[in-house]
Amino acid sequence: MANGDTPVIHSLQELADQFNKLIPHETLPAASGTTEPAPTSPVQMEDYAAKGYHLNVCVQPDQVVGAAEILDSHGFALDAVTGMDWIAANEMEVVYDYFHPMNSWRVVIRTRVPRGKPEVPTISKVYPGADWHERETHEFFGIVFLGHPNLTPLLLPEDADYHPLRKDFVA
Amino acid sequence: MEPEKVCSQDLSQIIKFAKLDELLDLSRANSLWPLTFGLACCAIEMMAAGASRFDISRFGAEVFRPSPRHADVMIVAGTINKKMAPAVKTLYDQMLEPKWVIAMGNCAISGGPYVFPGQYAVIEGVDKLFPVDVFIPGCPPRPEALIEGILKLEEKLTGKRRWPTVTPQ
Amino acid sequence: MSAPEIISTSDTPRETFVLNVGPQHPATHGVLRLKLTMEGEYVVRAEPICGYIHRMHEKMGENRTWAQFLPNTGRIDYLSAMTYNHAYVAAVERAAKIEVPLRAEYIRVITSELNRISSHLVWFGAFLLDLGGFTPLLYAFDDREQILDILEAVSGSRLTYCYYRFGGVCNDVDADFVRGCRNFVARMRPRLKMYKTLVTDNIILRKRLEGIGFINSEMCRKYGATGPVIRGAGVAYDVRKIEPYSIYRDFDFDIPTFPDGDCMARYLVRMEEMAQSLRIIEQAIGRFPDGPTLTHGVPRMLKPPAGDYCFAVEAARGRLLVRIVSDHREIPYRVRLRTPCFSNLSLFEEASAGMILPDALAELGSLDLVIPDIDR
Repeated sequence: MANGDTPVIHSLQELADQFNKLIPHETLPAASGTTEPAPTSPVQMEDYAAKGYHLNVCVQPDQVVGAAEILDSHGFALDAVTGMDWIAANEMEVVYDYFHPMNSWRVVIRTRVPRGKPEVPTISKVYPGADWHERETHEFFGIVFLGHPNLTPLLLPEDADYHPLRKDFVA
Repeated sequence: MEPEKVCSQDLSQIIKFAKLDELLDLSRANSLWPLTFGLACCAIEMMAAGASRFDISRFGAEVFRPSPRHADVMIVAGTINKKMAPAVKTLYDQMLEPKWVIAMGNCAISGGPYVFPGQYAVIEGVDKLFPVDVFIPGCPPRPEALIEGILKLEEKLTGKRRWPTVTPQ
Repeated sequence: MSAPEIISTSDTPRETFVLNVGPQHPATHGVLRLKLTMEGEYVVRAEPICGYIHRMHEKMGENRTWAQFLPNTGRIDYLSAMTYNHAYVAAVERAAKIEVPLRAEYIRVITSELNRISSHLVWFGAFLLDLGGFTPLLYAFDDREQILDILEAVSGSRLTYCYYRFGGVCNDVDADFVRGCRNFVARMRPRLKMYKTLVTDNIILRKRLEGIGFINSEMCRKYGATGPVIRGAGVAYDVRKIEPYSIYRDFDFDIPTFPDGDCMARYLVRMEEMAQSLRIIEQAIGRFPDGPTLTHGVPRMLKPPAGDYCFAVEAARGRLLVRIVSDHREIPYRVRLRTPCFSNLSLFEEASAGMILPDALAELGSLDLVIPDIDR
């Protein structure tokens, strides 16, 4: 499903190369907080049987739109946008899962933002489905998606001013 | 002449001499019209109770009315949320007297499996909003349990249970 | 066929009004509120408002041990609870590297496919009820009761199953189960033919569904819609074939796909899927192996290795992804549930613009929504 401008890719390695071009070499890979050791490079192939996805890409917050555009041009669909509260590292993480409707490729894009000022550009102009996912992530974590048309609560009451999935949330 | 002396034992099952109140209670009990108010999982068991295997139509209660103004009994089947609570209260207020409420399922009785320290969204039982007549425990309760709950409500209306109790063999 | 142009018969500007559908409404299949901006009978904008049954599943994932979360999985989408059990249990098995015995995999596949059929039967009855026909609901629930008897005998529940465990299933099945499945397959095939002549070929249904509610494959891709929605748009995407899990590779079944993208296409996909599920059940019962149904040695207080893991299954409504993050404790750090109805409903606003109200509700019914699946 690639458009005329981008080259058709035949393997995940070609996709990984496109991400490597997007991310400057001096970018440090994002830390993983309290989980397993940090990835050795920003673009890393993973064992699908062990993890459930093929490619793990760590980007800076301002590169999420570029990453989404690369995946959109190759026909990927948005699976989920997940917020994570790494309170011990004083960071929040946004994890984008992508799947492909024609083959089994699974790509995960991650980005980290400081917990005090969690701001990430919206990808809803590339993937309209992200509109609702980002609204949900905002209401549960407080992460602000810059440029989002309607960042109001989706699942919580309209006047909710609390973020329940934060680790320091008290009801 | 006493009415009972006129009727023989057999006929007293089908001919009733009663005060008007008792007659009204009997007719209300025989034709409870529920409000279609399925919120979550219990709603499916309510639908199964209305379907042909369990058939609450036998008890006069198959006419599910979407509008609260036509309904007698609100079967609260599912979890009440803090966002949903004003809507539930409005529906209850819109029902005409006499009205009854059956709390079906653990969520409607006490919040069900969604009560944990730090919970922020669930109302712990519909009786926190308005009075409930019958509680039917289960997660979800079987359709037979819902029918038993309706029979209990009929017993509450008429003063005595009109259908046999099924005992396990 | 595109939606008709809204034509004003006078020079005055168009006047719209807001019509609220729900949260209590027979046609919304649960507590969904639709804020419709209408011009006469035409829907200018349909804004779904969710959250009326938000039950904090993801927060409960962080307050329960891995095993204590199992009953939650059956209550997210209660109509296809076995598949939701499967996704969560398999995600944890992937994390903790727990092997599942072959007999348990067969039981999982058979129960998941039976659950898929019973879920489609509820959809079928409720959808026809929305369109105005009451009788198919009673027929569908009759068939569904046969399935529920089989599943209740092995799992103990009629609806919100919690049957799978880490490393297998909690109860073994017996000869009654095998016999019940065989009888059900033999009974259901003529019933599907009956549904075709009674319902599918009915001229009123065809006029209500054919050419109504177009959702094309590009819209599905942009919104992440999966399941019968994307298969009704011509894309043969099914997690059981594209990202095979469990033992689905060993079975011979087709992915029904219809290219039209209208309500009728999605309807036909689900009817055909029931027939394909019968094929899978028949093959599985035919070569049902003996053996254990639960791996020994799985600790009660499971502590999977630190890291994040995903598992995707094909639930009755589409692609379900469970993403778990563990920090090597007995309580998960994060459980993310990517549910199919969330993405399927998100395209409704764009897809229903300009439609007449009954057609919009027919499209809503053809998406097959279970609202607690959206709100979690």
